Amino acid sequence: MLAYIIRRILILPVLALGVTMLIFLLLSLLTPYERVALYVADVPRRQGAIDELIEKYGLDDPIPLQYWNWMVGRKDPDTGQVRGGVLRGDLGFSQTGRSSVAEVIGRRLPATVELALWSAAPMIGIGIWLGVLSAIHHNKAPDQVLRVISIVGWSIPTFVFGLLLLMIFYARLGWLAPDRLSDWALRIVQSGDFMRYTQINTLDALLNLRVDIFLDAIKHLAMPVTTLAYLNWAFMLRVTRSSMLDTLRQDYLTTARAKGLAERVVIRRHAMPNALIPVVTVGGLTLVGLLNGVVITETVFNYPGMGSFLAQAAMSLDVVSVLGVTLFSSIILVLGNLVVDVLYGFIDPRIRLQ
Amino acid sequence: MKIIKRLLTNPTSLAGILLLVAFTVVAVAAPWIAPPPENARDSYMIPRDGFGSEPAAPNDEHPFGTTEGQYDIYYGVIWGTRTAFRVGVVITIFTTLIGLLIGSFSAFYGGWLDEVLMRITEIFQAFPFLLSAITLSSVLQTIYGRGEAGSLMFLAKLLALVAFGHNPAKPVDPIQLQILTGMLAITAFGWMTYARVIRGNILAVRELEYAMAARAIGAGNLRILFRHLLPNAIFPVLVIASMNIGAYVLNFAALSFLGLGAQRGYADWGQMINFARNWIPSLADHWYIVVFPGLAIVLFVLAWNLVGDVLRDVLDPRMRGREEGW
Repeated sequence: MLAYIIRRILILPVLALGVTMLIFLLLSLLTPYERVALYVADVPRRQGAIDELIEKYGLDDPIPLQYWNWMVGRKDPDTGQVRGGVLRGDLGFSQTGRSSVAEVIGRRLPATVELALWSAAPMIGIGIWLGVLSAIHHNKAPDQVLRVISIVGWSIPTFVFGLLLLMIFYARLGWLAPDRLSDWALRIVQSGDFMRYTQINTLDALLNLRVDIFLDAIKHLAMPVTTLAYLNWAFMLRVTRSSMLDTLRQDYLTTARAKGLAERVVIRRHAMPNALIPVVTVGGLTLVGLLNGVVITETVFNYPGMGSFLAQAAMSLDVVSVLGVTLFSSIILVLGNLVVDVLYGFIDPRIRLQ
Repeated sequence: MKIIKRLLTNPTSLAGILLLVAFTVVAVAAPWIAPPPENARDSYMIPRDGFGSEPAAPNDEHPFGTTEGQYDIYYGVIWGTRTAFRVGVVITIFTTLIGLLIGSFSAFYGGWLDEVLMRITEIFQAFPFLLSAITLSSVLQTIYGRGEAGSLMFLAKLLALVAFGHNPAKPVDPIQLQILTGMLAITAFGWMTYARVIRGNILAVRELEYAMAARAIGAGNLRILFRHLLPNAIFPVLVIASMNIGAYVLNFAALSFLGLGAQRGYADWGQMINFARNWIPSLADHWYIVVFPGLAIVLFVLAWNLVGDVLRDVLDPRMRGREEGW
């Protein structure tokens, strides 16, 4: 198993390097003028200022050299200060966020993490539960009904689903709301009395013993969480179902039944542990679903996370911000896939015992 | 033939096919059921009834109502059918072609070429799909926006030729150019599955006797690849491609919804729903901005998914001959 894990980890830097190269390739399609934001927030308003900056940060250099500068940063010849450098965590300046891209990501990430965490549990839980249900009642009524629901569900675009929720629960009934917090709650959260331990509103509210703020956060989270979870449960269901069906055909289950075990025990103790192994492998795809999903979901619900920032930046063609967020998300995805692969190695005895 | 028979007898896929037939009829009949105004420069630009900012509910003149800026929703939904087919089919053609080329060269020549091509494929797969499409379309819009795009214009013209039958000698219409950037962005990050599947299949058939026989009688590499190997390896890719058309339309609609696909006022379903974003507090009154174009997208994608669902069973050899998969 060690060999398996080492092989997985060795691929990581290759992939990460490839990802940065592709991102830089896109950057290099821009003119030096459009790329100045990689190193400075504002161009001073005087004649020739921009040409000086291009000279200073080598934005006219050969592409490989520029790639190197972009990766490790470039020293300002006047002040000796190093600017830029993806490896240093400097992704340039965002016109949309009016600060550095890294700062914007740092500021907005907790909101996205909160959203993703709340939706992951129902998505995985419901998906697996329905998938097992579907496989057990193979080709009978529950299976057929779930099939239709999942195909139809799959065909509804996220933004249409989200807007329908808004239409019913916000515009018509007024039960739930877009944004992240109500104005009154936001004032309390931003005041000095409220300790921001994690920047995750629901958790912080509980730690501060403010049930009213917790409930307000839930009121704003309910719709985006539902939208994000709905996106992926159908996929989860499908994977669980087909894997469970494969397992149910195995001889060892016939043996288990033949020795007189109750069907419930056969399913829970013998079939499910094996059937759920392939489900772990789609963890990476689930992460993709979440990363893609937050862009649309946050935009629809005006939720101030990383996804809505990306959409905003893309709309105003703030390419440096867009590429920064995409690079960050891709690295998360590469790491997430690594975790899934390693986890798989631990769970699957065929690999573990190699 | 067996597949077609299966598709026509299975109620699920039959429903999908009937829906697709209906959409095709609407797309073909668009100039008659929603005639463009006589002086229209581009019949895909939705005609406006004044410039008022408040959306109007369905009425005699506008059966589906109008959006803000008084764009007629009925007209947009009808002509949007053409846009949906165009987007779905063109993206499918280009992604499959790229996948076929990369996958077959990778498998056939093997060695370092295979290694390099497959690593590149993996790098493209390391990006979350929608995020990368958004990124690329904003980069392309910046580049095309400044007028001189150099060699990248070639790509836009190639796509314009296939999508709109546009004469490559003439400059591309800016209205079409914006849609093309969305299509290019999705294409650039959509070919990887095909490459991997075709590579696997060619590896499987490459060592079979008939390939050896072709080599023995002195056939050239390319001839073996394109005349003997590809035809035997291509079928699953075609099935996957048809299953993906719905997903492409869905993703393009998402780009349009964010304001990156079709331009404002173009007959495109996602773009029309984009108008709803300014009216969220009063969405209960202005439901028609979301519901009519939304229903069109759902039914269109559903149709492809219903057909794809049955095709998936046909593809999976374990399911062949058994009536159990879904």
